[in-house]
Amino acid sequence: MTTETMTVTLEVFRYHPDTDSEPSYQSYEVPYREEWVVLDALNWLKDEVDGTLSYRWSCRMGVCGSCGMMVNGYPRLTCNAFLREFMPGPIRVEPLRGFPVERDMVTVLDDFMEKLTDVKPYIIREEEQSLDDGEYLQSPSQLADFKQFSMCINCTLCYAACPVYEHEDEFLGPAVLALAQRYNLDSRDQGNEQRQQLIWADEGIWDCTFVGECSAVCPKDVDPAAAIQQAKVEATNNFFISLLPFTPPGMGR
Amino acid sequence: MPGPLPRAKSNAWWNRGWPYRVFLLRELSAVAVAVYIVLLLLLVSQVREGRGAFNDHLDLLENPLFWIIHAVILGFAQLHTSTWFRAVPKSMRVKLGGRAVPPEAMIFGMYALWVGASLVVLAAFLVEW
Repeated sequence: MTTETMTVTLEVFRYHPDTDSEPSYQSYEVPYREEWVVLDALNWLKDEVDGTLSYRWSCRMGVCGSCGMMVNGYPRLTCNAFLREFMPGPIRVEPLRGFPVERDMVTVLDDFMEKLTDVKPYIIREEEQSLDDGEYLQSPSQLADFKQFSMCINCTLCYAACPVYEHEDEFLGPAVLALAQRYNLDSRDQGNEQRQQLIWADEGIWDCTFVGECSAVCPKDVDPAAAIQQAKVEATNNFFISLLPFTPPGMGR
Repeated sequence: MPGPLPRAKSNAWWNRGWPYRVFLLRELSAVAVAVYIVLLLLLVSQVREGRGAFNDHLDLLENPLFWIIHAVILGFAQLHTSTWFRAVPKSMRVKLGGRAVPPEAMIFGMYALWVGASLVVLAAFLVEW
């Protein structure tokens, strides 16, 4: 059989909030193309077979972070999950784990977005310097301190891999904590104290049990597990320093 | 109208693949290390009781059951050590001369120290023997 005539079975998660009380799985035969990714197969389904199929996607190049889904039980961006990886199939496609489902593969991201906003993922200055003084300078070494954490595209695959987020409603989760740490490590930022109360709380870094799968599934090679463990070390250091009757030089916050 | 499907929570998360199972074994390894500490404290307490009690305790430890227990503990201790060696570069940012030390170098350094310390202990044991 040539690849032109080959097909693969997609088992697609279906849930319609207006009519379904429980989700179901629907099987479709889709053409197999060696260069197709799972998102191509879903787009073919939506265009040719069932226009009601719902999912998010945008850039098709692993940048926008919209098309994350569970593919055969593993969190993937469907735009870089090739059909050939899963042959001979079937390929099960489901919404990302750990989130409520709006419809089919569309997850409700309100909780994630609120937590992301809460940690103030932007540069905070105690006092803005005048434009006449030029930009805030930063050395390559200072940039290297946080650069990998800034690669996060908010795809939430790390949340789908995290059993703590699945079970603890209050847990801020890997990406939010990694982005908080990204700004805390930025030499131009002065917002560390504003973020501390939230990220040093139980539902922040201390809920993390360091399973580490958040980092393994990240399509942009961000290491949220590292960000969280580093923040734990900082919080611990800070606690012991606070017990001292004096502040050691260069260690005060 | 049912509305959005609530988030699903499964207690079978640990069985979703090897990384999750290894995580559980890693956490469990702390129990094995704790059991070994108890066995070690029992040994030390027998030293205090005198040579006869200590030799009786050594005879007891030669029971195959204790060999199996110690072999299992040794396995867990290896897992405990190797997983935490891998975790160290994630929790520490070490800079030398303004440049970050690569994780592989940190892990290699810890293994080198481990092997070195083990050789010293082995040498001490062989000399005594």
